[in-house]
Amino acid sequence: MATAAPVNANRVDPRRYRELNVLQRMYRCRADYLYVLPSLGVMFLVIGYPIYYTVYLSFFNTPPSLSMDEKSFAGIENYSRILASSRFHEVTWNTTIWTFASTFFAFVLGFGAALVLNREFPGRAVTRGVLLVPFVISAVAASYVWRWIYHSDFGVLGALAVQMGFSDTPLNFLDSIDYALPSLIVVNVWKEFPFAMLLMLAGLQTVPDQLLRAATVDGASVWQRFWHVTVPHLKGVILITVLLLFVQNINHFTIPWVMTGGGPAGASDIWITQIYQIAFGRIRFGLASAYSVILFAVMIVIGYFYVKALAFGDERPNA
Amino acid sequence: MARSIRPDMFSMNRRRMLARTAGAGLAAGAFGRGVFARDGIDVSRWSPEYIRTIADTIEVDTAAECAKVVPLDYEGRLTYWYVGENEASSEIEKEMERAFFAAFHDTYPNITIDKLNLGYNDMATKLRTAALGRAAPTVVRLMLLWGCEFAAKGQLMEFAPEDVGHSSDDFWPNAMKSCRWKGTNYGVPTNNETMALIWNADIFAEAGLPPEEPPATWDDLVAYSNQIKQKTGKNGYGLVARVNAGNTPYRFMPMAWAQGGGALDEAEPQPGYETIYIDNAGTKKAVQDCYDMYVRDKSVPVSALTNTNNENMDPFTSGNLAMMISHPSTYAAIVDRAKKATGADKAIAERVVESMRYGLIPEGAERRAVVFGGWNAHIFKPDYVDGEHDLDAARAFVAFMTGPEWSIKLAWAQSNPGNLRGFKTRWMKERLEQIKFLDVTTSMLPSGIPFPVIPESTEIMNVIVPDMLQNALTEKMTVDEACEDAARRVEELLGGI
Amino acid sequence: MTTQPMTAAPAQIEARRRGGGKRRRKPGTAWGPIGWVFLVLLVLFSLLPMVWMFFTSIKSQLTALQYPPEWYPHNPTLEEYHRLLSPSSEVGGEFLTFLWNSIYVSTATTVIGVAIAVPAAYAFSRFRFPGRKFLFFAVLFRNMFPAVVFLMPLFIMMRLMGLVNTQASLILTYLTFGLPLSIWLLKGFYDNIPIQLEQAARIDGATRFQAFMLVVMPLSAPGITATAIYSFITAWNEYVYALTFLNDDDKLTLPVGLQRFFSEYVTNWPGLMAASFIMSVPVVALFLVLQKYFVRALTEGAVKS
Repeated sequence: MATAAPVNANRVDPRRYRELNVLQRMYRCRADYLYVLPSLGVMFLVIGYPIYYTVYLSFFNTPPSLSMDEKSFAGIENYSRILASSRFHEVTWNTTIWTFASTFFAFVLGFGAALVLNREFPGRAVTRGVLLVPFVISAVAASYVWRWIYHSDFGVLGALAVQMGFSDTPLNFLDSIDYALPSLIVVNVWKEFPFAMLLMLAGLQTVPDQLLRAATVDGASVWQRFWHVTVPHLKGVILITVLLLFVQNINHFTIPWVMTGGGPAGASDIWITQIYQIAFGRIRFGLASAYSVILFAVMIVIGYFYVKALAFGDERPNA
Repeated sequence: MARSIRPDMFSMNRRRMLARTAGAGLAAGAFGRGVFARDGIDVSRWSPEYIRTIADTIEVDTAAECAKVVPLDYEGRLTYWYVGENEASSEIEKEMERAFFAAFHDTYPNITIDKLNLGYNDMATKLRTAALGRAAPTVVRLMLLWGCEFAAKGQLMEFAPEDVGHSSDDFWPNAMKSCRWKGTNYGVPTNNETMALIWNADIFAEAGLPPEEPPATWDDLVAYSNQIKQKTGKNGYGLVARVNAGNTPYRFMPMAWAQGGGALDEAEPQPGYETIYIDNAGTKKAVQDCYDMYVRDKSVPVSALTNTNNENMDPFTSGNLAMMISHPSTYAAIVDRAKKATGADKAIAERVVESMRYGLIPEGAERRAVVFGGWNAHIFKPDYVDGEHDLDAARAFVAFMTGPEWSIKLAWAQSNPGNLRGFKTRWMKERLEQIKFLDVTTSMLPSGIPFPVIPESTEIMNVIVPDMLQNALTEKMTVDEACEDAARRVEELLGGI
Repeated sequence: MTTQPMTAAPAQIEARRRGGGKRRRKPGTAWGPIGWVFLVLLVLFSLLPMVWMFFTSIKSQLTALQYPPEWYPHNPTLEEYHRLLSPSSEVGGEFLTFLWNSIYVSTATTVIGVAIAVPAAYAFSRFRFPGRKFLFFAVLFRNMFPAVVFLMPLFIMMRLMGLVNTQASLILTYLTFGLPLSIWLLKGFYDNIPIQLEQAARIDGATRFQAFMLVVMPLSAPGITATAIYSFITAWNEYVYALTFLNDDDKLTLPVGLQRFFSEYVTNWPGLMAASFIMSVPVVALFLVLQKYFVRALTEGAVKS
């Protein structure tokens, strides 16, 4: 689209348009804003106030015994308390593992699935549909099903292990400090690899055949073709997919909350579950807000890259 | 209050018992009317036999009683939130709830109720947000641990049984204690519940234990659990230690209290809720017992750390778990399931129903204890209610709900009427005939200890206590460290941080 | 305007979409047995939990709890399904109300979402108004904020707006979940539609809005379908807000209704699984039918550069 001129540009003589100041330009383009107004209106309404309120509340001490009107100003006390607590470090470590591992495995599985599905074979559409099922069903329902499957005493996985002679007793997944988090990551990967698959599948369809054929003619192996042709071509999609997964994971709440509630002994507690716990289990909205703001700060850093990646197509010369 | 039921059933430490009797008398005295309720119920003579003798001794005309509070032709509207029947409830509970709303409609045809039936795990969170946004319901029925927080925040109306035509003496002193904050009454108890120990006599026999005798002490329970695991391979005791689940403190605190422990001094006759007991020898002993069962003997379900008691119900029903602390409603639920079972299942289920036994919760070095649980009806202040706040409609509804008739019928399979006069109605007699073991769970009432009536209780019970257990059971900390860690957190909490 | 560009345009686009008419049919050399094994394992991984969900849902409550488990139901019963779906029973009536509410909320979210995302995406793609980039970024930023964190402030805001206990509050909130991805995807889509088509329409006398409605909209059907499915699914499965914002049994949506299968003491596992299963059917079916549009839309809108 690099050559296309903006649809509205021909309304005004471009030279004159360039001389206008911002307000005048905005006035000129007032009709354009009508197009984006509904979306932006909804966004600002639903996000603006909560952000303001969260940041504001993060500077207050709100003990469970007082009404919100009686909250007392605490300065940055909430922040220093969180950053100094050993629980915060544990939870941050868990969040890091959770986010990176989920993202990595979901991406690898999704990419793998996309590669095998990017071929014609009988039943391809059905297979693709089947692989999409986990992505589509409700996270709450999925968490219950998996909790039931993992159950340390009656779970079908444990029973299977006993049946097949791997173990004498049912396996302990969710009640073990060491295995709770990895078990949850498996569920999360199960739930979101189809999303990565979809994006990668879409990406793979844009890899030009000529390039691959040319590489084959040059004697490149399958692996070389993949590594030197496909992957470089997909750089943009890969970046987007990974970032979308990353953001989704760091914000994920349902699976850990429903399955372990953050336990045992905090082994699967991540930022979001911890925030929810502080707000609604311990009724400290001020502290929870400060925690949220810390999360926002992290998200803004990631968000910078995210937005850059999502909008990368926007950097084309016609802008 | 706590007079022994039968010497063989109740061997409570005598000194402690007298002290508690005195304490109860004092507490009741604070209401100015002594321990005898209006219709002559003597809670100090509480025993299964006594319960039987008083059942079906009065006739109740609910409509007439309510008419004295609010005229029956009153026209109004109210919003009501409650934790009601659901798909996991037994048929009888569902039936009673339907009947309740129908009967209210017959009594007050011109009062409209906008009701919301919430899940147990959702209620507190949702209500908290609603109250903060000033969109709370007019009337709410809350588990007694929850109400205090809303009262402390000044969101609930001052409200006593007298406001709806009952007398404070019609309710257990402990129940009244659970709806007072800083000397003000803010609710009316609807029902009170105490749990009991339930066991499978078949499994006991299989493990070579006396099938008809429950373990007398917690030490016995630990040993029984181990013996059952050794001899039968089945799990002994249904330990529960999930975070953020009410089930956990309901099952752990009785162990701690029995050994002289606790969270604060709530088990003392005159609790001040300022002294921390969570790291004393008694609590440590209780945590150690849990540790011994979970880690040393491996005689309890591995899934205890993610389980609520829901997950214990199931193995118990299928004959894979020998003991658990449970409600009278468990019996109804299991009978229900047995009825629905088909084929080979039916035989198993019927066998489990037959071998189900209820007994008192074991005692410890200090006392026999159980959580004094239950629910209270509250009315929110107009400021916090969305839309119309029709106080008279609310009073009519609470009067109706907490009267002797419906406080017993709504508690049919689960617990006991908050209104003690309920025990004297013919419905109590019906229940005693219909619900096996009701006398046992009911006779745990005098051993009931309410959770600390402070807004911080929620965090202590739902977060700090389960965390303490999980820290010890996963061996992340030693038992001592886990208790001391919990004590530090309670101290911080009470320090207003 | 003549019909000439109108009829030519879709064909032209179709050609572009198909990569110049050559759909790649690669020889099977790139993946041999390893690929097949991987695929089979992946299908099992995706499907088995769902199968287990279904098996549990057709067992009796007691059988569901056996250990070792009954691998497949010997005495399957559709009792739970029957109960949930028969309008005459109380549970069924309630469940169907929830189902209806979910359909209503999700559909409204989807329709409104598309209605406001399409013009916004179009404007971001075609127009050059000041602040365009900033506003586009602002939209994308929504996904950065976890829903749970906003629960309380959003509730307070809904209350101030008088929307508590209305399904409008949910629709408003759900809109923001779907919008960033919708706008982003559709913008990419429009970026790939040649502007000459609209210019031709304009020359033929169409207004800017007409050109958009008559030329661009029909071409972006796959993109719209894809974003619609995404919005629908997100709205369909949301739980926390639905629980917090609605106060009326008659207004609740399905995910909240699922809680009816638990109580403080017991869980009806087969019932829960049956309800989860029923709840999954509409979205899975929707997705299966429309998935090809989804992939196509992603190809066209998101990844083509």
